[in-house]
Amino acid sequence: MTDSNGRRPAISRRDLLRTAGAAGAAALVPGAVAAVTEETPATPSPASTGEVQGQVGGSLPSEPAPFFARPLTNLTARETEILSAMVDRLIPSDEMGPGALEAGVIRYIDRALSEAESDAADAYRSGLAALDTYSRYTRGGPFIDLSTIDQDSVLIDVQIGAATGAGVGFVGGSGSFFNLVKSHTWQGMFGDPEYGGNVNFAGWDLLDYPGVRLRVSPEDQRRMEAGQLEPVRRSAYDYSIFE
Amino acid sequence: MKVSVPVVLGAALLLGVGSASALRGQAPTTFIVESPTMTTGRFMPRDYSPDGRNLSPPLSWRGLPIGTRQLAVISQDYGAGRPPPWVHWIIYNIPGDAQGLPEGIPFDPDQPMPAEITGAVQGNNGWGLPAYRGPAPPPGSVHNYHFAVFALDEELNLPPGLDRGELLLAIEGHVIGQVDMVTLYERQPMNEFPR
Repeated sequence: MTDSNGRRPAISRRDLLRTAGAAGAAALVPGAVAAVTEETPATPSPASTGEVQGQVGGSLPSEPAPFFARPLTNLTARETEILSAMVDRLIPSDEMGPGALEAGVIRYIDRALSEAESDAADAYRSGLAALDTYSRYTRGGPFIDLSTIDQDSVLIDVQIGAATGAGVGFVGGSGSFFNLVKSHTWQGMFGDPEYGGNVNFAGWDLLDYPGVRLRVSPEDQRRMEAGQLEPVRRSAYDYSIFE
Repeated sequence: MKVSVPVVLGAALLLGVGSASALRGQAPTTFIVESPTMTTGRFMPRDYSPDGRNLSPPLSWRGLPIGTRQLAVISQDYGAGRPPPWVHWIIYNIPGDAQGLPEGIPFDPDQPMPAEITGAVQGNNGWGLPAYRGPAPPPGSVHNYHFAVFALDEELNLPPGLDRGELLLAIEGHVIGQVDMVTLYERQPMNEFPR
């Protein structure tokens, strides 16, 4: 969706849970991880990784699986379902473009939990379980089965810390868990695709980010301010100086 | 079940509700505020808290002052907030012919208000959210929750998102009736109410 100047509206429209539920949500893909037990790492669905149909088919059997098709290494199937439903409410797909699921945020988070954010693995484990327990206790069903309105209502309670006192197992406060996931969702949505998220530059498109540039001429600046600059869609790591 | 007992404000409690003053030279009159699900001085159901569905509770009123054009409601806890009160809910621009508020006012600003209160909007609560969020006192403590209802002499049609101070300032001089209904709440942890 664009304004009269052909530009996308500001990201604030999606600023989560300030206007909870304002944007329509893309439906989750039921049973996307059904083949995996709750205890084993999950292989997320295309909808939760940003995988575009047909991409896998282009790979030869002897080639290593593309990053987006490899099994998750940290999140279990159950955790993946709950986290997918959560990030889908944080940045839903709508008329402005793909949301967090399509941008590969789940895979970004799973990878981060093995690397730079490994200290957060326990917080995810306990937080996702507590979120689901809180949903069952207060809304009568698992988080993934709630209506989007009820999911938003639950997430608001988690965000403002009100879910903490329900005794459902949030460690250090429900607001801390919410902020952790929100922060990682933003990173996965808007960070460099090198880290596994921002698939097809969905996040940068949403922000109208002009892309990584080694130089910006006055003409580039003028065109950018006029909304006419063609964005560069390359990872920073595609430039030799960042390698 | 309609068991609520209306609370009529005395002058002292009136001062505690806020700084919104009545029409110059006139004290606000009282009227009756009730709820089909809550009772003054009793614990409110957990569905109006984050131990339940966190719905806004229903209210009803009658005997409004003659000349009431709009109403406003503030739900607040004088036992919390720095400084108190902590605000749980603000809703205003309620039509003067409305007989109350139904349960579960939408928290999504894009969702329409119920037909009987068309035009009503919500202000920002203590969390900065334009929505109802119910009682969440520290576990083991009982807090009082005030539902202050203001009858106004003019259709002010205020913008959404006002905080408590802004609303009280905006309605100052227009309050012709004011009533405070007080309920209680204590957290009800999951292990006490297993599903």
